[in-house]
Amino acid sequence: MLNLVFLIPLLPLIGFVLLGVFGSKLPKFVSGAIACTTVLVSFLITLTLLGGVLSGSIVSETITYFDWINTDGIYLPMSFLIDPLSVWMMTIITGVGFLIHLYSAGYMSHDEGFARYFTFLNLFVFSMLMLVMGSNFVVMFAGWEGVGFCSYMLIGFWFKNTNYNNAAKKAFIMNRVGDLGFLIGMLLIFVKVGSLEYATVFGQAPLVFESGTTDIVVITLCLFVGAMGKSAQIPLYTWLPDAMAGPTPVSALIHAATMVTAGIYMIVRSNVLYTLAPFTQDFIMIIGLCTALFAATIGLVQNDIKKVLAYSTVSQLGYMFFALGLGAYTTGLFHVTTHAFFKALLFLGSGSVIHAMSGEQDIRSMGGLRKKLPITFLTFLIGTIAIAGIPPFAGFFSKDEILAYAYQRSPILWALGILGALMTTFYMFRMFFLTFFGEFRGTEHQRSHLHESPLIMTLPLMILSILSIAGGFLGVPHVLGGHNWFGHYLSGVAPVKELALDHSTEILLMSISVALVLVVIIIAYVIYVSKKQVPVSEGSTLTTPHRVLYNKYYIDELYDALFSKTLRWKSEWFYKLLEKGGIDSLVNGIGKGVQWSGKTLRMAQTGNISTYLFLMVLGIILLLIITGLLV
Amino acid sequence: MENLFSNTLDGYLFLASLLFAIGVLGILIRRNIIIIFMCVELMLSAVNLLLTAFSVHHNDPNGQVFVFFIMAVAAAEITIGLAILVMIYRNTGSVSIDSLKKLKW
Amino acid sequence: MKTIILLSVLGIVAMMADIFKYRAVLWYLVLAGIGAAVGLELLEWNQNMPYYGMLLMDNYAVAFSCIILGLLFVWFLVSRDSYTGQEFNDADHYALILFSSVGALLMVSFVDLSLMFLGIEILSIPLYILAGSRKKDLSSNESSLKYFLMGSFTTGILLFGITLVYGATGTFHIERIASAIGNSTMPVYFYTGIALLVVGFGFKVSAVPFHFWTPDVYQGAPTFITAYMSTIVKTAGFAGFYRLFSTSFSNARMPELMEGTTWSILVIVLIVLTIVIGNLIAAYQTNAKRMLAYSGVAQAGYMLMAVLVSQVEDNTKSSLMLYMASYGLATLAAFTVLYYVQKSKGSDEFEAFTSLGKTNPLLAAVLTISMLSLAGIPPTAGFFAKFYLFTSVLKANPSLLWLVGVAIFGSLVSVYYYFKLIISMYGSDEKSTAEVPTNMAYQFILVAIVLIILFLGIQPGLITNLANL
Repeated sequence: MLNLVFLIPLLPLIGFVLLGVFGSKLPKFVSGAIACTTVLVSFLITLTLLGGVLSGSIVSETITYFDWINTDGIYLPMSFLIDPLSVWMMTIITGVGFLIHLYSAGYMSHDEGFARYFTFLNLFVFSMLMLVMGSNFVVMFAGWEGVGFCSYMLIGFWFKNTNYNNAAKKAFIMNRVGDLGFLIGMLLIFVKVGSLEYATVFGQAPLVFESGTTDIVVITLCLFVGAMGKSAQIPLYTWLPDAMAGPTPVSALIHAATMVTAGIYMIVRSNVLYTLAPFTQDFIMIIGLCTALFAATIGLVQNDIKKVLAYSTVSQLGYMFFALGLGAYTTGLFHVTTHAFFKALLFLGSGSVIHAMSGEQDIRSMGGLRKKLPITFLTFLIGTIAIAGIPPFAGFFSKDEILAYAYQRSPILWALGILGALMTTFYMFRMFFLTFFGEFRGTEHQRSHLHESPLIMTLPLMILSILSIAGGFLGVPHVLGGHNWFGHYLSGVAPVKELALDHSTEILLMSISVALVLVVIIIAYVIYVSKKQVPVSEGSTLTTPHRVLYNKYYIDELYDALFSKTLRWKSEWFYKLLEKGGIDSLVNGIGKGVQWSGKTLRMAQTGNISTYLFLMVLGIILLLIITGLLV
Repeated sequence: MENLFSNTLDGYLFLASLLFAIGVLGILIRRNIIIIFMCVELMLSAVNLLLTAFSVHHNDPNGQVFVFFIMAVAAAEITIGLAILVMIYRNTGSVSIDSLKKLKW
Repeated sequence: MKTIILLSVLGIVAMMADIFKYRAVLWYLVLAGIGAAVGLELLEWNQNMPYYGMLLMDNYAVAFSCIILGLLFVWFLVSRDSYTGQEFNDADHYALILFSSVGALLMVSFVDLSLMFLGIEILSIPLYILAGSRKKDLSSNESSLKYFLMGSFTTGILLFGITLVYGATGTFHIERIASAIGNSTMPVYFYTGIALLVVGFGFKVSAVPFHFWTPDVYQGAPTFITAYMSTIVKTAGFAGFYRLFSTSFSNARMPELMEGTTWSILVIVLIVLTIVIGNLIAAYQTNAKRMLAYSGVAQAGYMLMAVLVSQVEDNTKSSLMLYMASYGLATLAAFTVLYYVQKSKGSDEFEAFTSLGKTNPLLAAVLTISMLSLAGIPPTAGFFAKFYLFTSVLKANPSLLWLVGVAIFGSLVSVYYYFKLIISMYGSDEKSTAEVPTNMAYQFILVAIVLIILFLGIQPGLITNLANL
């Protein structure tokens, strides 16, 4: 089965080339079929690999195709590393990728750029596969840049979107900052270890670096900066919500399930290096936790269905980094897996809603959709429960494992983690209730167009909802009678962190979190279904007549004070002041700075030969002065 | 001054540098393209002078051969320069370097 | 040597085409001639033939000659279209280009400063004419005048530098200069001479602050002449720069200055200025041709890094070769696409490229890949060129990490403006849906170039191993 490995990335590449060259001339049906088939076949081959890994016949195989560079001092083969980690990522990429391809064939069927869309989607799958399959940092970097490029092209897929320019620019600058870190980290590894092959680097690392020395801390921090850019962590996260300008399936595939988890993959892959740098680990933990909380508070007040999901993604990515920072690499990857299922499901579901609403994305204009869109409603409900973390849905197991590790480190971390989880639950159910319950609040025109999506779109939803229900059983903890299968699966690549809590504590923690989550769901239900409260336009507070009504329900007022006031205030403060005022203006400042300096510097280019000659002579004098100083 | 010229070679060096600097200065401050060409020639002459002096100093004929190279090339170059100037004069009616500054920024 | 003679004869043959009426077959004749020249060049491999202490056909010279001839071959392939129109007299142009290339070949194989000087002049003088070859067009006139005036001014500077070096060492032979330096203390004017040589070469390769001519001349000159200048001329300039400084001045250091040579500080100053200023100004351009000119300036900054570490690290020459080959091919492809867009839309602003992705997907793909290569995105050749260069700098002197940091920062800025062009191609605009007419043969050639770029990205060893053989 290993001799077919090269086909896995090659097939989507062939699809890309075919669609790129002939795309505009082929009928839509054929282009869609090419795109879907290539990814499907890749997925099937990947499944045989997965079978091999599970049966133990593949442990860790490096397949070298040719020498990429082979000169004195630099040896870089073009080779793939097939081990449990890469096979797992490949399964997610091709599997979820195929479902999203299928969905897109329905979602994009009316779009004139159909072929162009699939061209880039196939190229994306290819690049993402290169990223996870490569056996050295250079192949990974090739994929890393490739996915960035595709993401950039797909965010801007609809040019008419006026925000597109800013969104693309922001995504661009933030990813560049990340790449700068990644490249420098890579060069430093090369200079220190003399190789970029995983096997050599990770084998040599414990010998070359002493634990906690500056060298290894700088290298790991540089690599982590790369991860921050790609996986949208503070302060490089604001591009992700803006990236929602692209088509919804793109958000599902690139900005939720696969590309944004590249940073997590990279850190899990280089866990040997990170274990040597405790400082970096703590740094990652803090950044991850801050991102998780920060993005969740912002999610509380968003009214755009995709923006809510985007902030939720940022927040969940924060959880994954939180886990990595705690040293629980396998747990981080477990959350990547479950998140890929339920977040892809939620995004595709929101796409189905947007499709039915003729492009409307504001949840204030939706409501009561459960009768018109039964399948979407049901699958969306499954996704929402999964992300909220109610057993036995997927999110529960992965999130609870993270929280258990957090408790082991410190109960405060656990409490903060729970806080984030509760906020997640609240805004997810808020969105869910506002969308599917109550009265329809859109226009008559939209009402008449409401329809369930075709089977080609609902089928991926159904498959993903099954995965969202069952995905969690991959890693049932010991305390619930499982034996953490997922951790053992990956134990050859990343060590499983010891969980030294006694069973009663663990059960207690789980019960507390589940109980709190249920309470929050009830609160959300009361506010948005029973009381039919619809968020008013951003910025204005509740009016006094409403307040009288609230006083009848003491509990409501309490939660109003808790959630709608303090948290709303806090999250708006975060949103307005920090995100818009701080980070955005910083990013725009960098952009403007480059533009401004370009504009100013070119003033020297006056077009007048005398000026040129004069400046040249100044340059000559400068060089002569330097020479004079040296001699 | 006595010290400065104690070595004869230094005298040539000084003279050539002075001539060269005058050439550069002329290029910088003159506006007429023909005068600028002449200033370039002045720079090249300074180089030729210095080369000859070094050649004699090292007792090596290569330097003087090089002078002939420079002369030949300078002649070719100035021919091209004048041709370009004629072309520009036909189009703009001016031989000032300020007449052409459309390409900028 | 045989190649140089063959190419000169070819130039004369091209000049006579009008007299003896074989203009129709001239193009094929030239292509065959260049093909034969590559063959003759390859015969010199490993021969190390010295030609009277003036030229030395070592493997460095052969490899760079082959790169130059290869680029020249591609140039003739893609530029034919612009010369079959009545706008230009193709025979004269071909002759001038061939003569100019003779200069380029001299610049990569000299061992004597007089030949280096002749090479530079033979390379430049035909270009002064070619830049102004649109006689009625004021931009072309201006480009020609600027190039000529600043070029001849720099010739003076360069000659003064050569003279001072000669005065201090008593020889023009680059190896004897090195042995004359030995460990003895040189007079101050020797170091002045080196500084002036840095200026002269800095001008030829358009390093900041000697780059002022580049954008104006590139923009004003006919597109294919610009393509020639930014590829073959630049390759020759760098090859000469590297050859002279790595051979002659690698031990030109003051005893108290232990780290590096005096001129390496100068080159570092040029690198930082070139990378930062070149990229920043390029980011502000709205004209594609001018953007490519500034990107050429910025790219020179990276290439200068090879010259910087030439004294320590022997295999930087292979990095330089890879860089020149990948840069040259990508630039030629980009200028070819630019030519067609300009021809059909009458403009070379970014807006002229709008919806090229829809009307001419092939041209758009070619331009995209060449931009990606220039930006240094894997798996194109440009990525390895940069990667190789940066690692050789770090290996030569780890304390130069900050310089590599500046270079990476610059290349990240460059991604911005290269992507801006790509994005504008895939933008849609109802107004400009007219297809840009192209010829099947040129499309085929462009695809071949792109495939070579990608192939070099997959197998950069093909070129990097050349220098080690």
